[in-house]
Formats: sequence, structure tokens, C-alpha cells
Amino acid sequence: MSSGHEGEPRIQAAGLTKRFGDFTAVDGVDFAVVAGETFGFLGPNGAGKSSTMRMIGAVSPRSGGALRVFELDPAEAGPEIRARLGVVPQEDNLDLELTVFENLLVYGRYFGLPSSLIRERADELLAFMQLADRRQHRVEPLSGGMKRRLTIARALVNEPDLMLLDEPTTGLDPQARHAVWDRLYRLKQRGVTLVLTTHYMDEAEQLCDRLVVMDRGRIVAEGSPRDLIARHVEREVVELRFAAGTQDGAVARLAGVGDRIEELADRILIGTADGDATLAAAQDRGVEPESVLIRRSTLEDVFLSITGRTLID
Amino acid sequence: MVEQAAHVLSWHARSYRKSWRATITVAFLNPLFFLFSIGVLLGGIVDEGRADLGGLTYLEFVAPGLLAATAMQIGTNEGSFPVMAGLKWTRTYHAVVATPVRVLELFLGFFGWVALRIVVAAAIFTAVAAAVGAFRSPWAALAPLAALGCGLAFAAPIAATAGAVENSSVLTAIFRFGILPLFLFSGTFFPVSQLPAALEWAARVTPLWHGVTLCRELAGGTAELWPSLGHAGYLAAFTLAGGALAIRILQRKLLK
Ligand SMILES: Nc1ncnc2c1ncn2[C@@H]1O[C@H](COP(=O)(O)OP(=O)(O)O)[C@@H](O)[C@H]1O
Ligand SMILES: [Mg+2]
Repeated sequence: MSSGHEGEPRIQAAGLTKRFGDFTAVDGVDFAVVAGETFGFLGPNGAGKSSTMRMIGAVSPRSGGALRVFELDPAEAGPEIRARLGVVPQEDNLDLELTVFENLLVYGRYFGLPSSLIRERADELLAFMQLADRRQHRVEPLSGGMKRRLTIARALVNEPDLMLLDEPTTGLDPQARHAVWDRLYRLKQRGVTLVLTTHYMDEAEQLCDRLVVMDRGRIVAEGSPRDLIARHVEREVVELRFAAGTQDGAVARLAGVGDRIEELADRILIGTADGDATLAAAQDRGVEPESVLIRRSTLEDVFLSITGRTLID
Repeated sequence: MVEQAAHVLSWHARSYRKSWRATITVAFLNPLFFLFSIGVLLGGIVDEGRADLGGLTYLEFVAPGLLAATAMQIGTNEGSFPVMAGLKWTRTYHAVVATPVRVLELFLGFFGWVALRIVVAAAIFTAVAAAVGAFRSPWAALAPLAALGCGLAFAAPIAATAGAVENSSVLTAIFRFGILPLFLFSGTFFPVSQLPAALEWAARVTPLWHGVTLCRELAGGTAELWPSLGHAGYLAAFTLAGGALAIRILQRKLLK
């Protein structure tokens, strides 16, 4: 895998814009990714994450701004850029009729790799992605998690200098998701540069060295997960969960409790440096939640504090 | 470019190994059934060397027609649903263009595969038809190429259509209301001069009629240079225009 080259620029975007007709899906974003880091786009559905990834992947012409991938312009050097990328698209596009191995073989040929080399790499990759025992199986009946792991294996067949993973675990059950996270974590440890999108804050927190929070085509915050939490929200959150219909008026009564109050459909979140004291203060105000929870602040809270909305609707 | 297209073609060949059983009826069995039932058996009853058939026996008349019509059917089948699947259903085309392969190369590999499918089926049909005495002239050896032109003249515009439309019911409608009537009425089974004048004119502008006529004149030994080039040029024009359009549509759909 590609280690070394630490710190070399991989992606540079300035004012990057994507329009579909008169709708602006990506609205002038700036970011840069260097070799060896794991960089994330965190944002809800429709934020413009996939549109950005496709521009980086040189399969979608930009509508404005500047973009360099490996210091090349995707508008001019599409094939050269794609030759060095490993792409895991949001929707799997494996050949379902072919076997697991054949999918790697066919794909590897597009990178000009000789079959003998693909065979060698396929054995390693399938072992690494825990699919070795499925080598000769048709893809169609495989589980969603296995298909996802195969898509990742396929993206690695050309030993890419940069991997683009668009929502690598969306739609997977928790166990399958953890299996994927584990593999991505190992790739990261080997020094592979990863760029991923997600609307799961735990995914972003676990994997990303640095991330941007995206909303409605714009970048609204940037930093390491820890920085973002430190900068945008209090250390802890008191969650008051209400039974249906019992939440009315509670926010008014809680005025002044904690440092920041967010109201959602079924709960109230209070950001605070001291959860226990804030919970006690809230109970003094006579609110009657069904249950309470004190937890550390997460990227979800960062997103909520910046946009007033939740990541997953 | 050729190398990348060859990789795409070999992907199609590999997929075909899994699904060839589903294609042998349309590509091989049906045409041969028609050849025997209509050409040999029905032909044996109706034959009196009628002048309408230009002096050909009915078998000699219908076999080249079936050859061109078979090419048309393979071209439309391979040009239609597989393209829609690659774009929308299995999305495998999106996987291809995420690699160094360009859309043009994807199309050429796909189209080369369709050509191969047609030419192999046409060669087999031609061999069987020759064995049962359906051809008068050694020029019949060129009939598979004429059939190839006919098949591609359908495959290219159909591929463009399959790329452009959102719904597969459009393709189904083309099969039912376009391809089937063409098969029956464009000179495969009877001379188009039997049709009312307006319909005869309509039949003569279809690529199938040009394909049928070219195959028939080669097989019957009546082909002349300029008319044959005219038919071939007509088929090539459909192929090139349809292909150029298909490439543009695929670019629009895959690189948006
Ligand atoms: N091909 C397209 N044509 C028109 N609108 C599109 C197209 N692709 C995406 N969009 C719109 O652009 C916005 C951003 O989409 P996308 O980049 O897929 O967001 P995300 O990946 O963050 O969910 C959405 O509102 C989506 O509907
Ligand atoms: Mg997306």
C-alpha cells in the first residue's frame, strides 16, 4: 500500500462549485487533503458530499472554482487521476453475475495490470477483506456487508494513492459496519490516504484525522473531531427525553439552565460543562422527562449547534 | 484506446459465459426453426419458382431475409436492456468509468462485443442455410458481414435510446411496435412490392429492408456493386449516427 509521501498534497479545492441546472449542489468549498491523512466530509443527506466526491474522482465536471487531484486538473487529466484512485461509490456497482474474484480481475484489467499480478493481489486483498472463502462465489447472493467489503477490495486492486469512500457503511447492520471500520482503520494504519463521506458522527469520530462539516453545499466547520467539539460545543450534554405530548413548555421553564439548549421532536439537549449540576438544576425547574442521560458531546452536537438540525432526519 | 476497449469487450465475454443459455433461442434456435419450418417445409408447398421472388425458390428467398432479421434482433436485444442495466440497474458502467477507461472506450468495447455476437450467430446461420441449399452464389459468404451491418444499424440507435430514456417500458414498446412489425413486413418473408404503395415506401427506408436486400442479392448472386454499396452505406450511416449519439448520451449520463 502507499505509505511514504507523507504530507504531499493529494487534493486541493478552492471555491469548488457544482451546479445541476440552476440548483447549486456544492457552493464554493475550500479544502485540502495531504498524503497519509484520513479526511472526512460529514453532513446530512443532500449536503453535496457525493457531488464533491465525484468531482474529485474525475467523473463529474466542476461548474466553478479550482480543483487539483495529485496536482492535476481533473478536467484535463481524468484517466491519469483515476489510475491512481481507489473509488468506493455510494451505491455498489459490482457485476453481480460474476464471481468475487472475477470482479477484481475485470476491474484490475482496466488499470492495465497483468492478470498474473491481479491474481496475486486478489488473494491478498480477499484475505485482508475477509472474503477469501468467497473467492469463487457469485456476488449477487452475498450480504450487503460482504458486497461493501468486496467493493473496497476492488478499489484497492490498483494500489491507489488515494481512496475515495462515499458513505462506506450506510445501510449496513452494526456488525457489518464494525467489520468495515476495522478494515478501514487498518488501511489508515498502513498509511493509505482516505477521504470518506458519512452522515454518521461516530464513523467520522472514529476514522477521521480531520473533517469538514457540510450542509447545503457549504462547509460550515473544519477541524479534527476533538477540535470541533471543543470549539463549537460544551463538554457534556444532558439529554432529557419526553413521552409524546409532555415536552410543551419545558424549554421555557429551562431558560438559563446550562450553556445552550436545543429542542428536538422528542427530547431537549442541554450543553454544559458540568452535566450533574445541570441535571440537578433542570430538575429544580420542575420539568418531567421520561428519562435522562448525561453524555459527552459528539460531532452530532456540533452539527446541531451550527445548523439547528440533526444529521439523520 | 483499442486496448481499453478490448478490456471492456472481454468483460462482456466473461459475463456472457454466465448467461449464454438465455440467448441461444433468439440467436441460434429460432432462426433455424424458421429456416426449416418456413423456408424448407412451407417453401416446399408454395414453390413454383414464382416470378415475384425474382426467380428464387422460397427457401432461397427467405433464408437471407431471416439472416438479416436475426442480426436485427440480436442487435436490438444486446443494444437495449444491457445498456440500461449498466447505467441504472446494476450500474456497472459507472464502475468502468471510475477507472482510467473513458466513456468512448466503454462504448467501443460494448459495441465490439455486440458486433461479435451478431457475426458469430450470422456465420452459424449462414453455414446451416448453405448446407440446406438456400444459397445460389458464393457471394453468400459475405452475407454475415451484410447481416452485421444490419444488426449494428439497429444496435447503435437502440443503445442511444436505452441510454436516454428513464423507463424500460419504452424499450418494450419498441420491441413490440417497432421490431416485430419490421420483422414481419420489411421484406423478410415476402417482397415488399406486395405491400400497398405507402407501406412499401415505408418498408424501403427501414435499415432492415436494406439489410435483407443486400443479403438476398449476395446470396442469390444478383448483387451489383453500386446498389450493394448503397445498402451498405445506408446501414453504416445508421450505425455511425446512432453510435455518435449513444456516446454523447452515455457521456451525459455517466459524467454528470
Ligand atoms: N445529477 C443530479 N441532478 C440534479 N440534482 C442532483 C444530481 N445529483 C445530486 N443532485 C442534488 O444535489 C444535492 C446534493 O446531492 P449529493 O451530492 O448527492 O448530496 P449527499 O451526498 O451529501 O447526500 C441534492 O439536493 C441532490 O438532489
Ligand atoms: Mg451521497
